[in-house]
Order: sequence, then structure tokens, then C-alpha cells
Amino acid sequence: MDIIVRKIILEVKKGNQQAFAELMDLYKDKVYHIAYRMLGNVHEAQDVSQEAFLRAYTNIDSYDMNRKFSTWLFRIATNLAIDRIRKKKPDFHLEDQVAGTEDLTYYTQISADEELPEDQVVQLEMQEWIQQEVMQLPPKYRSAIILKYLQDLSLKEISEILNLPVATVKTRIHRGREALRKRLRNS
Amino acid sequence: MACSKENKAFIHKYLDEELTLLEKKQFENHILTCGDCYEHLRELRKTVAIIQSTSHIEAPSSLTANVMKQLPKQSKSNKWKFWMKKHPFMITAATFFFVFIVSVASALSGENEEIVVQGDGQFIVDKERNVVVIPEGESISGDLLIRNGNIEISGEVLGDITVINGEHVMASTDQVSGDINEINQTMELIWYEMKSFFSDVVDLSDNESNAENQKED
Ligand SMILES: [Zn+2]
Repeated sequence: MDIIVRKIILEVKKGNQQAFAELMDLYKDKVYHIAYRMLGNVHEAQDVSQEAFLRAYTNIDSYDMNRKFSTWLFRIATNLAIDRIRKKKPDFHLEDQVAGTEDLTYYTQISADEELPEDQVVQLEMQEWIQQEVMQLPPKYRSAIILKYLQDLSLKEISEILNLPVATVKTRIHRGREALRKRLRNS
Repeated sequence: MACSKENKAFIHKYLDEELTLLEKKQFENHILTCGDCYEHLRELRKTVAIIQSTSHIEAPSSLTANVMKQLPKQSKSNKWKFWMKKHPFMITAATFFFVFIVSVASALSGENEEIVVQGDGQFIVDKERNVVVIPEGESISGDLLIRNGNIEISGEVLGDITVINGEHVMASTDQVSGDINEINQTMELIWYEMKSFFSDVVDLSDNESNAENQKED
């Protein structure tokens, strides 16, 4: 593991809270990105990210330095996001899932007086559309697709994060991208 | 016309670059004559490209501060630990110190490297990796003590866990109902041995508050 990350984590393990702030700065964007893509909602993404870091802090003693820190952290974040989805939608099916588009406007993140060039508007619409399509996937395929294609992680890392055999991860990626292909073709 | 299941499976393997050189050649030959597979592969490639084109987003700037505000204040036992490290020999109950140093020395010197597990329930001892595994679906009803080995928890532990000379790995934080202690340093181990001795013999809280008082000095 990265020597800098290692040093920071050792400090955190000693109870140095300032070191934890440093650690957060290194990983907060990635954790937030996973949470946002899983949940499709900025408030919930922030909530889950914060909870993930709090849990990482309180359980830092259980983190094994021989493993990759990001894998451990993403696992906490992914589990929390999946829990959140389960609680929100007890009977989740691909068929009856309504697009989770509330709160999805990228526009809100840009101040109103800012003029956007045409191609940027197109880009934003495209991003929003992709997120909607990803949200249509059942959570188990969604998490695999996000970790593989948005975080660019190896199958082995994904299998550790999701606590699944590599073969199962592969199947989920295959099914996830099949489902997306069908949706994108019909749109 | 939809092509065969075998060829459809090949498409994904081709995309993941998992075909052997021969399979790859054969599949590429097939694709040149099969419009269905060709189109399927093209769509999948496009799908992946679209998904990958999503931009990375940044966390809200308030995130770090929000978490920092919520971090727990240092617990009493944590303070104790720091105090023990700073003043290892100013232990109020010095009399007991020598009683335990013996068992500690033998535990840390490597004479006794066998994994020792104490607990009620089903677990697997993987001697090669030096790991005690609590498999998925299994439940340890009470406390668990592991000496000279690591523990991997996929099942559930209802009591406290103490790991001496080892570390533990969990699938999620929900699986352990009690506390988790890892003891890898001599002083911590002495403290642990003393604590378990005290809890049998004297009331621990008195000693703890004594130590707290000394810390203020
Ligand atoms: Zn074909």
C-alpha cells in the first residue's frame, strides 16, 4: 500500500483525529461518487458517505493493514448504500422500478446566472440520462457495474468489496451490461 | 436471427479478453459472417463506452467537516491505553504486574505459537494461513478469544472478541454485537491480562479512576 496512506492510517489507529481528516480528503470524492451512482440522490449520497467515514473511523482497529484501504472503505460504503436502497424499496424489481430521478438535476449544482455553452448542456443532459439508466438496474447489478466501469476496479477488488466470488461478480457485470444494452438500444 | 447461446457467451468473454488465442480467432471469424453477434458486440461496446463517459463528481465541501464534528470523543478505555503507553511502569497495582509478566512473556516470546481459540460455536481453524474463520451462517453465542492467529468473520459473534497476536477481518460491522479488542503489544497484553484478573478478583472501576486521577497530575 501507498506509504503515505499507510502512515496516515497508523496515526488514525493511534487515535489521531486530524490524520483521519487527511484520510477523508484522499477518499471522499470516490466514496461520494459510488454512493451517488448507487442512490442517484445528492442528499442520500452525502448521508451515506458521512456514515461510511464514521464507521471507518470507529472500526479502524479492524482494518487489516495488509489489505488495500480503498477496498475496505468502499465495502463499507457499498454495504451502506445497498442497505439504504433495501429500506427505501422493500420490493425491488426491475420491471416496476420507477426512475429515481428526483433530485437528479446537475443544473442545480451550477449557479443560475452562469451561461452554459451548448455542448456543455448536451453533456449534462447526457450525464443525467446515463444516471437514470444506471438507476434502473437492480442494486446487485448496479453496484458491480459502478465499481467496474466508474471506479475502474479489478474483478478481484470488486469481489472483495461485495464479498462475492469472482465468478458471481462476472455474472453480475455481464447481466448488468446486457440490461443496459437493451435499455440503451430502445431509447 | 438470434445466434446460439454459446456464441452469445463468447461475446462477453471476448469483451473481457478472456478467450484463448484460438477461441478468439474462431470467434472473430464467426462474427464476420454473423450479423446478430456483430451487432450485439457493437452495442455492448457502445454501452460500456457510454457508461464510462460519466464524469467523476466531487463530494460536497461540507462532508469532511460534518464527519469530524461527529467523531466520538475519546473513550475512557482509550485514554487508559494512552496512559498505559506513556507511563507503562506507573501502574497502581504494581504488585500484580509480576504475576502476569510471566504468562505474557511466554505468550509473546514465540514459544507458544499454536493458535488458541476459546469460544462456543462452529469455527474453522485454517492452520496454513493461521486464521480462524467463522463461516457464513454460523454464530458464536458468547465471547471469543483468539491467540496467535487472525480471525475472519463472515458469520456472527454475539459476545466480545479478543485477538491476541493477530488481527481480525469482517464482512460488515453488523456481525459482532460486542466489543472487539486486538492485542499485539506487550503493554496492552499485560493490561488485558490484568484486567481479566481484576474482573475476577477486585472491582476494576476503582483502579481505573485511580489511573485517571494520576493522569491529571
Ligand atoms: Zn453469431
